[in-house]
Amino acid sequence: MSGPFEGLRLIDLSGLAGAYGGRLFAALGAEVIKVEPPAGNPMRRMAPFVPGAGHPEASLWWAYLAMGTKSLVVDIESESDRARLGRLLAEADIVLDDHGPGVLDDRGLGYESIAASNPGVVWVSITPFGLSGPKRDWASSNLVAWAASGVLYAVGFDDQPPVVPGGPAQLGMHATALNAAVGAVLGLRGRRLIGRGQLVDLSLAEACLAISPETGLALFLDDRVHRARTGNRRTLSRPFGLYPCQDGYVSILVLMPRHWEAIAQWANEVCGNEAIIDPVFADMTVRGETMELVDSWVEELTMSMTLLEFFQEGQRRGIPITPVNTIETLRTDPHLAATGFWDTVELPTGGEVAIPGAPFRTNAQWWKLGRAPRLGEHTEELVATTDPAHGA
Amino acid sequence: MRLLDGVRVFELGIAIASPNAGRLLAHQGAEVYKVESPTSPDVVRLIGSAWLRGDDGLAPAMPDSSPYVPEFNADKKSVAIDLKRSEGREAARRLLANCDVFLANYGARALAELGLDYESVRALRPDIVYVQLPGFGSDPEMPYYPYVAWGPNQAPLVGIDDLTGHADREPAGIATVAPPDYLASLHAAFCVLAGLEQRDRTGEGVHVDIAQFEATISLLGPFAMDHALTGHAQSRIGNRSLWYAPEGVYPCRGEERWIAISVVDDDAWDRLLTIAPPELAADDRFATNESRMDNVDALDEAMAGWTSAFNNVDLAARLQRVGVAAHIVATNEDILQDQHVMESGWYAVRPSARFTRDLFGGSPLRMSETPGRWDRGGPSSGEHTGEVLTGTAGLTEEEVEALLADGAAFTMDRPDLRIDRPYENWLHVLLPREAVDSRDLL
Repeated sequence: MSGPFEGLRLIDLSGLAGAYGGRLFAALGAEVIKVEPPAGNPMRRMAPFVPGAGHPEASLWWAYLAMGTKSLVVDIESESDRARLGRLLAEADIVLDDHGPGVLDDRGLGYESIAASNPGVVWVSITPFGLSGPKRDWASSNLVAWAASGVLYAVGFDDQPPVVPGGPAQLGMHATALNAAVGAVLGLRGRRLIGRGQLVDLSLAEACLAISPETGLALFLDDRVHRARTGNRRTLSRPFGLYPCQDGYVSILVLMPRHWEAIAQWANEVCGNEAIIDPVFADMTVRGETMELVDSWVEELTMSMTLLEFFQEGQRRGIPITPVNTIETLRTDPHLAATGFWDTVELPTGGEVAIPGAPFRTNAQWWKLGRAPRLGEHTEELVATTDPAHGA
Repeated sequence: MRLLDGVRVFELGIAIASPNAGRLLAHQGAEVYKVESPTSPDVVRLIGSAWLRGDDGLAPAMPDSSPYVPEFNADKKSVAIDLKRSEGREAARRLLANCDVFLANYGARALAELGLDYESVRALRPDIVYVQLPGFGSDPEMPYYPYVAWGPNQAPLVGIDDLTGHADREPAGIATVAPPDYLASLHAAFCVLAGLEQRDRTGEGVHVDIAQFEATISLLGPFAMDHALTGHAQSRIGNRSLWYAPEGVYPCRGEERWIAISVVDDDAWDRLLTIAPPELAADDRFATNESRMDNVDALDEAMAGWTSAFNNVDLAARLQRVGVAAHIVATNEDILQDQHVMESGWYAVRPSARFTRDLFGGSPLRMSETPGRWDRGGPSSGEHTGEVLTGTAGLTEEEVEALLADGAAFTMDRPDLRIDRPYENWLHVLLPREAVDSRDLL
């Protein structure tokens, strides 16, 4: 069978904040139409680029996140184009919109106007801080959204400024887009159950706030401990965080009693450490209170071998240990090679490139994605079906 | 009504990735059964509240006291069954036969050993929407199949820790939060809902295998492609942008007071200059986005020189007034005074069996026609074992009694032991909107 969203049409008026969500819908069978201004979607200007290629087809963000979509150029300043967009929205099942509060309403293309003629539309509004409240007109970015969430303050070393989680990977934007996708499917279900669509008010700020429980208010009010930056280890217990091997870093996460027993036993075998197997350290609170000591024992163990040795032997012993990978080491990871994770796709500029494959696997045939469209590639085709003059 | 009224979810969840997905489903009305065992509890139940430690009289409250229990499990029903015993597994199977969704982030091998792999579950419930989030996928033939990786292992594993931190130093990593857990949970919620759409349309269930390793890498597509095309491996660059400058976290007046500023294009820069010192406007190196990116070290230094004279709250408001994206780097103390967050009703306060009231964060999906809600905080371990096994699972009272007597099922320990959170008496000051919600006064 085809994907569960076959036959649905999603109009994507958004940029990066909705893109991953549109991509999921396209992969699962929906017709996803990216409405672009004549100068192109903002993602088309985002580095990194295909070497040697120029605007508007060179951006790898576009080449990846717009896969499987169609491109329709609409000049919002032109009355006929606005009318065309209005007709398209009047037939849409889902709309992803990241224009600020009121921007489209002023042009008669906002949710209220469209829903009047298309009451079934599921309209996901993506804004910096939501459609209401004191900050509704504030601007944002990935960095600014993390700053507002309380998460940014707690990431980094204590002798340097706080640092954004995921750096240039724009994780806050992707979290927002994933929420947009969840909200859109919920809206589709609602349309079936109550016979009408609805407005989903989603903000970058709350998408990041939803990732804050580990540094967040409920925890703070409970223990009244000010959350400070702790570098690459967590104070909850130890070992918990990044540890150096001979040739790189590993991530060790020991919370469960069985994991502690296993790593303590290992340190005992390799380093002859008798103290570490004292049952008093089985309590993770005790390990938290003696973290410098515990860390020194664990580092003695990690520094006695290479990253690969520590990863494989640690996993053999059932301990949650992973390498600290880079983009480069991921691309040669043996597991990802064996699962056939990496896929290839044609670039809008021509030629092929390796890409991450589907984020999940299904027993039914769900996932299917072709290349990203060139600017305006589907304008003619879509005009032919939406303009009354063409007699569609 | 809520959109998932009548949908029953069997959840085997640990920590965040699966529980956070289940909690989103509960928000929309799904009946989510958190199946757990006191002998092998969800790890968040071990992360008890510091103020309870050392008080032996309150020991039975410990597994319920972690603030994470409501954060990730609000409004779920806790069904405590020992799945390592055959009687316990049989009770679980009878519950499962009456569920629509199976959701788990147990390791794939552990699920198979419990007889809860997809094929076994489908035999009980042919149209099950089965969504699992193992670290490395459910194919036993694959190299890392038996490996274990928890949420906080995922960011380092998939390259996100390498991308986090300042360029001149080892990875800062994301020790304090585990974004991949939340991103996996959103993938899972999406797949559950897509699976229900398919099932309701065709009658067919689905098996979705979300290897967290792969799902998170799928968010790094542009960097993987860049490496494939040019050999360049993107690594950490602090708070800087690949696209524009300035973007950064700058010091403000006071200890540990910071502001995040993103100047996304030349128009935004011109607006910033209307409130910035004239030296910034006069400096040719900062005239265009391209030249600012070329001179980013000098630019950041100049920005920090400017911002450090200001109170961060005031400066953020001034920048936003001229249309520049900026925000204080908020602490929890700041968030408590953030009128926008407090007025939005993001934080919910709901009754729970163990506590007078429990506090937890909200959902970013504000739906105009079918708003979600949580009526209760996190469940106490085993709080709903009896009612769910006799209700949904269809066991007789005698069968449940036998399971409990035998230790194959458990109920809440000391239900009479009710305590107050340390913040209980002043919650109304912090969350005024919540205090007038009558459901909180139950």
